[in-house]
Amino acid sequence: MPEMKKLYEIGNRPREIFLSPDGETPTRRSRVPFTRRHWLKWRSRYNPKSLKLEKRLEDKKPLWWMLSLGLLLLVTPFLGNSALTVASIFCMFAAINVLWTLIIGTAGIFSLATLAVVGVSGYAAAAFNVYLGVPWPFMFVIGCLTGLVAGGVLALPSTRLDGLYFALLTLGIVEICRVFVQQLKSLGATNGSINQVDSFIPSDWFLQREGLLLGFFGAFALLLGALLLFKLVNSERLGMLLQTARDEEAFAEAIGIDYRRARLMVFMISSAGLGIIGAFYAMYYRSISPSIFSLDQLLLLFAMIVIGGIGRADGAVLGTAIVVLIDKGLLDLGPVRILIVAAIMLLVTLLTNNGLVGAREQFRNYRNRKKSEARARRTEKGGEVMPEEATDMPDKQEIFYRRFNKRLRDELKLLITPELIEEHRRKPLGRHSDALSRVLNYFRRSEMPDKYAILRQPENFNHYKIVALSGERGAPPRLVDDRLYESIDEAYHAVFLLRVNDLLES
Amino acid sequence: MSTVTLIHGLNLAAIYGLMAIGISILWSSVGMINMAHGATFAASGYAAWQVSLIAQPLIAAWLGTGLDASIAMGATMIASGLGAGAIFGGLIFLLAYLPIHEKANFAVRSLIVTLAINLATVQLLLYFFGPRQRALPKIFGLGRTEILGIPIRNDQLGTIVATALLMLVVVIWLKRSRKGLEITAMMQNPEGAVLSGISVRWTALPVTMLTGALAGLAAILLSQTVFVSPTAGALPLIKGLTIALLGGLGSIPGAIMGAILIGFLEAIVGSISFLGQRYVLFSQFLFIITVLIIRPRGLGGLLDQTRESRNA
Repeated sequence: MPEMKKLYEIGNRPREIFLSPDGETPTRRSRVPFTRRHWLKWRSRYNPKSLKLEKRLEDKKPLWWMLSLGLLLLVTPFLGNSALTVASIFCMFAAINVLWTLIIGTAGIFSLATLAVVGVSGYAAAAFNVYLGVPWPFMFVIGCLTGLVAGGVLALPSTRLDGLYFALLTLGIVEICRVFVQQLKSLGATNGSINQVDSFIPSDWFLQREGLLLGFFGAFALLLGALLLFKLVNSERLGMLLQTARDEEAFAEAIGIDYRRARLMVFMISSAGLGIIGAFYAMYYRSISPSIFSLDQLLLLFAMIVIGGIGRADGAVLGTAIVVLIDKGLLDLGPVRILIVAAIMLLVTLLTNNGLVGAREQFRNYRNRKKSEARARRTEKGGEVMPEEATDMPDKQEIFYRRFNKRLRDELKLLITPELIEEHRRKPLGRHSDALSRVLNYFRRSEMPDKYAILRQPENFNHYKIVALSGERGAPPRLVDDRLYESIDEAYHAVFLLRVNDLLES
Repeated sequence: MSTVTLIHGLNLAAIYGLMAIGISILWSSVGMINMAHGATFAASGYAAWQVSLIAQPLIAAWLGTGLDASIAMGATMIASGLGAGAIFGGLIFLLAYLPIHEKANFAVRSLIVTLAINLATVQLLLYFFGPRQRALPKIFGLGRTEILGIPIRNDQLGTIVATALLMLVVVIWLKRSRKGLEITAMMQNPEGAVLSGISVRWTALPVTMLTGALAGLAAILLSQTVFVSPTAGALPLIKGLTIALLGGLGSIPGAIMGAILIGFLEAIVGSISFLGQRYVLFSQFLFIITVLIIRPRGLGGLLDQTRESRNA
């Protein structure tokens, strides 16, 4: 077998990941335990050029996830204390945003009460811990249950109200929570916050290096859990049902998908998840204050998912990273950093279709459009079929016929000279030079519609006019012009000139 | 119900009504939920404060301290509030309407853009003016006026009368003038309006400016009782939004009725001794949520045909 030639590195190929398996042994892909999913999306195919078997990684996103999360996990423990706090906050907010993406993207419920669910569960968990002495591991359970209940209460109006109406209503609910907590008499002394919450971080480690590290690992585990939940809901049965129902609800209902129930399920599941995050939040800070219900905090969180792109987990995490880095990492800038966030939010919304993660796809579409526009400008048409119309033609033979015809015409145009015309004028019939007979042959073969013909005038034997045939049975020919030709040779030449004219114009 | 409560309720209803009507008109004619309405409110308050700093000595030098002077001052304040609101409305038009109104998913996009404007404006105000609260001059004076034997505080009377007058003007303008008719046509049937030659863009500009001016006026009037601060817009925004929602987004009579109901609810709950001010917001939102669960299209559905949600 000859040695394979080196393939030119053009197109996307250099950026793809390929394995070259042995063609004799069957490929084996390991599965995720207890499921039918594979870890990575390898696809085998034969390279059309070299005819060698190769395995291509179709979806490189898992690698990017591994890389970025692994880097975060490895690098963060060696950073300073403030950077460690920023990383922990990032993990926490990213977890919230991933679950929020589940609500807005997968379930399609435009809820702005996400932080309210987190806050309510955090308050419930903290209150149970501080006032009833429930030990901290059970705070997660309490948070989860509270989240579930809060989700259920929120879901109640979501079945009646649609889209933006529900979003505005949830905005009001957030405000209620804030006012309610601030005005609870029992919390009056602490301005509405619950302090001294027990935590998974031992109290003598709190705000120390060990405590911060433990907090970061906890937040990281939370983020992983949120991503896992996202994967389980979004790309398994529930997510599939909702994806089917996304565009055509009536159709989905007709084929037996109860999309309302699926939506509520997703909403409740994410709310329960948010409840766990709420309990974690209270434990991480060892206190919880009404600022979690503030409009500014909500807007900042909304800015995160908007910048990243609504509906995708990577968008939620990316947006969170950007906003948290600006908001918590550049504390020296003061109020300017919120301005930067607002400016990014504005630019992203004005310029992209779906946040930063959608920008790549959008750019590709834009580039393809520009490419095809440029191609259309480059190709002189001249009767040749454009790639765009070629797809619409049922008879592909037609495409090749028209291409041949165009080349032929280009060739013939070069043959038309004053001498050639003069030759025809002198002798319209009989033996001609090679060039003239080629041109005439082409004219003779042309299609029937609009073919010229000579009509002898009935009143006078030697008078001729030129007509153009309609090409349709029953439809009479039309008169080309009113000129009267005195001899048949003159008429022949006139027809020739008309055709040459048409040829040069085409 | 005592007369004091009644007047207080009317006063609140007037201010909320100004906010809610602005949001409602903008939604029904342009299809945009303006989250920057609160920013308009705060920015107009600051603009009026800045104008008052310049105008006060000028007016004092020119007219002294008599009745003329206070009328001139009041007119200046209201004019500056309206003007600043209208300019801010124009800004919203330029940023949140013009570049994106033909793109997909305009409702959500404009919501996001106006949110960003809101965020940026509040921070800019904080940056330039600091978090300190500023008091606007009392344009209606401090005393009380007796009408039909009921003593009414001047600022409350002024607010109620000014709002009623302005709403009357707006409603007449919407019903009579050519531009107003165009806006009404857009509210009723946007496609039909476009087909009969009404430019969507050049109708949206006066709408945003008008609603901005309404928010500016609300800022001047509310600042007679509370102070101007960078975050002053948040609560009026949320109340305006929820009242517009209660009235059925897009219906002017619904918004007015919602504002009156909520204003009176606030006054009544505030005056009941064992509930007090702390349960005002709570009772309002509970009321709104209950109404919305029973009637998802709000009160406006009772009054007239509200426009279908564009988002659907």
